[in-house]
Amino acid sequence: MKILLVLLTTIFLFSSSQASEVSEWFERESNQFLEIISNNEGTDNENYEKYKYFVNKNFATKSIAYGLIGENIINNSSENELSVYLTAFTDYLIKTIYKLANSNSSSSIVLKDVDIKDDIYIIKSEISYEKSSANLYWKVIETGKSFKIIDVIVENTSYFVTKKSEFNKILRKNRGSLEALIKEIQKI
Amino acid sequence: MKKHLKVLLLLIFVSFFQITTLHSNEQTVEPGISYDEIYDPIEPINRVVLNFNFFIDDIAIRPIVKTYKFIAPEPVEKGVSNFFSNLKEPLRTVSFVLQGEFYKSFNSIGRFTINTFTSLGTFDLASKVGMEKNETDFGITLAKGGVSSGPYIVIPIIGPSNLRDFSGDVIEYVVDPLSNNVPNREYIAIGNGINERVEIDEQIDKVRDVSSDRYEMIKSIYYQNRNAQLEEEYIQNLPVPKIYIE
Repeated sequence: MKILLVLLTTIFLFSSSQASEVSEWFERESNQFLEIISNNEGTDNENYEKYKYFVNKNFATKSIAYGLIGENIINNSSENELSVYLTAFTDYLIKTIYKLANSNSSSSIVLKDVDIKDDIYIIKSEISYEKSSANLYWKVIETGKSFKIIDVIVENTSYFVTKKSEFNKILRKNRGSLEALIKEIQKI
Repeated sequence: MKKHLKVLLLLIFVSFFQITTLHSNEQTVEPGISYDEIYDPIEPINRVVLNFNFFIDDIAIRPIVKTYKFIAPEPVEKGVSNFFSNLKEPLRTVSFVLQGEFYKSFNSIGRFTINTFTSLGTFDLASKVGMEKNETDFGITLAKGGVSSGPYIVIPIIGPSNLRDFSGDVIEYVVDPLSNNVPNREYIAIGNGINERVEIDEQIDKVRDVSSDRYEMIKSIYYQNRNAQLEEEYIQNLPVPKIYIE
């Protein structure tokens, strides 16, 4: 009985320390993100670089990019093609976030709750705009030293799921050509 | 009324016909299945209708919405939104009864009573006293009753839907206990439509900018939002990418 209690206490303490680490990381990075949004007085190039730094630091771009095209395409593509795709996708992700953030002068992101399922942290937060607010969920994985975002869900719309259906459509239309997908996402 | 009844019977027949015929060849998005395989057999037609809708939106609806948002102060905008939402509470009450959600049904009728008598529905006092709004509609009721979603359809002017949800909308229009007793109910329907468009104005602006295929994007967003209303632990169960070493 004693052993069971010790075991349960250890598991509880371990999971709460993990949740507190991810909460700290989230508070720090979301504040940095808000700072980037509010300090957009520089040139487009300078602002883009700030977003690029943020995305490279906090997003699991390779996992997202590869997840969007699926294993079949990955296995049928050369290292070089995948590398070009990864660069194009990272640029696409930065531009998307840049466009979305620039059209919203968001004032605050408040952490609401942290949940964990299958080693993935689900961080619930609330983002407030001038007039309204929205629920914002972040799916985050631990990568040894830090945490990386694998999906962002605004209200009920997941970035990963939405982009996956878009990318699948482009790939299907072009008979699985990664080159065609790269051309398409470079248009944004 | 006879005409309405015919439409209703036809829709019920179509919906239940779907249960028996599509069940063995399920390609629709139901909780837990892949989002890549949304059943969309009339995609070319849907794409034309979507382009038509964006065209109409550009030349007529969007200017009205932008002007309204510019002129109307925030409390007015909120009040109008509350007013139209309140009109749907009797329908929500009926839907919740059909779903067996009696507590939510009482909550809806309670909200309607409080908000109508205190402000004609323009102020959501009920939420302030702990009676939060629960969203539902006849499409959800049909889904919970086991009716599959059927093909994805884009309806002129109205927008994305599927056969089940559209059937739900038509049933609502026919049985709505409130609007049925109001003369010129078409005006209420138009007002409600514009109000719904106002509520998603920012999202529509974003869809125009950040999508490589806006048709697919809108379809995906539509199904995700509907699934969120149907599935418990929806966020937790969304698919995630396989993890690669960064």
